[in-house]
Amino acid sequence: MAGKKKLRIQDLAKIREKTKSLMTIREGEGRARVTVHMGTCGIAAGARDIMDALLDEISKAKVQDIIVTTSGCAGLCSAEPMATIELKNQPPVKYGDLTPEKIKKIFVQHILGGQMVTELVLAVGSETVY
Amino acid sequence: MKHYRAHLLVCAGTGCVSCGSFKIKEALEKEIKKRKLQDEVQVVATGCNGFCERGPIVLVQPDGIFYQLLTVEDVPLLVEEHLLKGRPVKKLMYVPPDEKQPVPKMKDIEFFKHQRLIVLRNRGRIDPEKIEEYIAFDGYEAMGKALAEMTPETIIAEISASGLRGRGGAGFPTGRKWAACAKEKRTPKYLICNGDEGDPGAFMDRSVLEADPHAVLEGMVIGAKAIGAVKGFIYIRHEYPLALKRVEIAIAQARDNGLLGEDILGAGFNFDLEIVEGAGAFVSGEETALIASVEGKIAMPRQRPPFPAQKGLWGLPTVINNVETWATVPNIIRRGADWFQGLGTESSKGTKIFSLVGKINNTGLVEVPMGITLRDVVFGIGGGIPKGREFKAVQIGGPSGGCLPAKLLDLPIDYESLTAAGAMMGSGGMIVMDDKTCMVDIAKYFLNFLQDESCGKCVSCREGTQRMWEIVRDITEGKGKESDLPLLEELAQVCKDASLCGLGQTAGNPILSTLQYFRHEFEAHILDKRCPAGVCTKLIRYVVLSEKCTGCLSCKKACPTEAITGSLKEVHSIIQTKCIKCGACQEACRFEAIESQRDEAIQVI
Amino acid sequence: MITFRMNGLDVKAEEGWSVLETAKFYGLEIPTLCFNEGLTPHGGCRLCLVEIGEGLKTKLVSSCTYPAEEGLVVRTDSKRVWAARRMMIELMLAMAPGSKVLQDMASRFGVTQVRFTSRNKECVLCGLCVRMCAEQMDAKAIGFQKRGLNRKISTPFDMRSEECRLCGACMYICPVCQLRCQGPNAEGVLCNGCLTMDPSCLDHYDDLQCWMYDAGRCGTCVREKT
Repeated sequence: MAGKKKLRIQDLAKIREKTKSLMTIREGEGRARVTVHMGTCGIAAGARDIMDALLDEISKAKVQDIIVTTSGCAGLCSAEPMATIELKNQPPVKYGDLTPEKIKKIFVQHILGGQMVTELVLAVGSETVY
Repeated sequence: MKHYRAHLLVCAGTGCVSCGSFKIKEALEKEIKKRKLQDEVQVVATGCNGFCERGPIVLVQPDGIFYQLLTVEDVPLLVEEHLLKGRPVKKLMYVPPDEKQPVPKMKDIEFFKHQRLIVLRNRGRIDPEKIEEYIAFDGYEAMGKALAEMTPETIIAEISASGLRGRGGAGFPTGRKWAACAKEKRTPKYLICNGDEGDPGAFMDRSVLEADPHAVLEGMVIGAKAIGAVKGFIYIRHEYPLALKRVEIAIAQARDNGLLGEDILGAGFNFDLEIVEGAGAFVSGEETALIASVEGKIAMPRQRPPFPAQKGLWGLPTVINNVETWATVPNIIRRGADWFQGLGTESSKGTKIFSLVGKINNTGLVEVPMGITLRDVVFGIGGGIPKGREFKAVQIGGPSGGCLPAKLLDLPIDYESLTAAGAMMGSGGMIVMDDKTCMVDIAKYFLNFLQDESCGKCVSCREGTQRMWEIVRDITEGKGKESDLPLLEELAQVCKDASLCGLGQTAGNPILSTLQYFRHEFEAHILDKRCPAGVCTKLIRYVVLSEKCTGCLSCKKACPTEAITGSLKEVHSIIQTKCIKCGACQEACRFEAIESQRDEAIQVI
Repeated sequence: MITFRMNGLDVKAEEGWSVLETAKFYGLEIPTLCFNEGLTPHGGCRLCLVEIGEGLKTKLVSSCTYPAEEGLVVRTDSKRVWAARRMMIELMLAMAPGSKVLQDMASRFGVTQVRFTSRNKECVLCGLCVRMCAEQMDAKAIGFQKRGLNRKISTPFDMRSEECRLCGACMYICPVCQLRCQGPNAEGVLCNGCLTMDPSCLDHYDDLQCWMYDAGRCGTCVREKT
């Protein structure tokens, strides 16, 4: 955050970069959309921890255009916690039985790298969030 | 700041605040905390979204879901369903009139779809009390460019080339005004931001100041560089507490960050701003009167020339522009004159903000490109007239603007067309009227406003508006004479001709335009002693139509003065001496058995 | 020197002169009420209106406050100017019908009817007394208050002012409250006792501009009032 220091022109760009990364979400666009399923089953199975870990990773990686949303139960309660990753122009991919470590791996490899973490994938395609 | 997965943008413009949006914000924060979502979801108070009809408004991003007419009771449901479970709540969404399916996304709603946001680009998007958020969306970039890369001459050339005209009413080319002041040798020079918005039903300046105060500040710093001013004043009405507060915060933040004061952005340029609180006179909006008011004198206009650019505040060169004009300036500098040139019509460039009020479905604030037709604004964005009533007229340009009838709905909105049609751009108030509006009554209303707000200097304006008001008042009371209409026209014309300032010079418009387009209504009042719209209480008479009355008693119960007689299943009748003409019986009747103003109504004495 | 045209004549004015001053210098009469040579111009009564500009873009301005400008085109007596002046007289007469100054003015400009109900005030808010008190008497005991319908001239808080020395200058200069019209109909709104002639030149020579003297008052083209 800008302190009491007098700003220079180049400082403006820095503030812009820094703040914008946290605010592009308000434009409603992004390269990836992560849906953490948070039905009762999901929350009971630890979806909250998955969400925390994911948000933590996003702010550590300083990426701006990833949208994180929640949804209700996806129907396969035994595989909770689950998450759906939708990269721009690609079919959605569902992951099941997540742990914070697994979601970190998915974040790095799939969301940032664009490579599916095949050993964790539950299903590809079909369901989209409206 | 940290990364939040969702942002709840709570509208905190004056309209929504008065509907309780701060309470909604509190409830949201409480509920989010209860659900332990406070690290994932951020609640932000933004400036006015413009769709005031539907306040309080909350926009959920990144989903772009638009929630409206919220109450504190809706909050737990919204948080649980949408934020926790990811299911947008249908019943809180906007449903267009005459339709059943809700429109979930803001960008799909008709009201927002046709607008072009330039001045209001940050509305509903940033927290106006946080300078970082303004900077995040390219704020102060134009100021950096102006201070570091441009000379006063290039800034003025850019503004002139853009074709920007003053948004306060008269539409004087901004570039020319700046050039005239830059030419003056005497120093110090001053800048003034005119935020004395006093038209009934207008809230454009208020909204800009509330939603994006930094844009005005940035524009003024650029203007200061262009003309070489060292000090500026922002004149805001005392009646706009929220705008005053947000501008105060914005000035303090800008000073703290070295964006105002000495050596701005390290570019060696000094400029500071001060707020002046207006005392509420409508005439203070006139530039020379406003200058007198800033100097601490009575707000009374004086002769121009000399123009403020030569002899303004304390006799020194001064540039005075409207809030909207200042807020447009940074956009032109940042994106270039060519881009701005591409918007609007031949003589009127860019966009204009209008406040859309009156008998219209979507009351609110809209920003549209110049040249759009009245029909697009009233029926496209505004959603037409409520209850399927008929459009009668739209009053444009504040109290001294004019009333345009339905046949002029396809008129493009630009300075010249409006003036030619007998109205004016004014500051951008648009009051829509349906067939239940009496045009004589409207003329009376605006004349009453003007005769009260005339500063009283010129005989033509002070006496002229008073006499016109007296005559029109007599007409609405059934005391009109045939000779009144030519006299009104004569008075209106002389008032326009002979008065000193813009107030008097346009004070004849309410009369001239209503007489031009709705003369038959005046004639009905004078010759037939009849008010066709059923508004002027002295000229209407409510009667029960015996063939329709079922004797259900509902009108009798509704009457506040016990003026209705009759018992169950008997035709009722109205005792005229007791009737106060409130119309409650007519509203209560389900059989359309109570009429005002029909022939049978008049014949019964 | 500033050169401009007035009623078709090229006139020269000193820097800082108003249009009214220039007209006076050239002997062109422009009627005034709230103007006095010893006081700063106010521009409130709108009697000294003149039409400036050429072609379709002309407008009326008060000549007492409008500065002489290079290249200005001024017409002191056009139909538009007369229509406005007549209405100003009518409006002011309805405020204070007892004033001899206003009654004379009405006769001079052929105002023969007042179509408004009389207010019977003894003030037309010309502000001469306010300026007299402030500028010549150096007292500033009175001033304008309020606006619109409620505008009036009074002392602060309507109380007896310590600043007022009861010098009477305000009453001396007042065009309304001192001199009373003594004509036959002075009790009514309009007297018109001195109205014996009627300028007819305006009907025929509006655009030519009477340069001999000011239009309607030279006496060469008047007709007997019937």
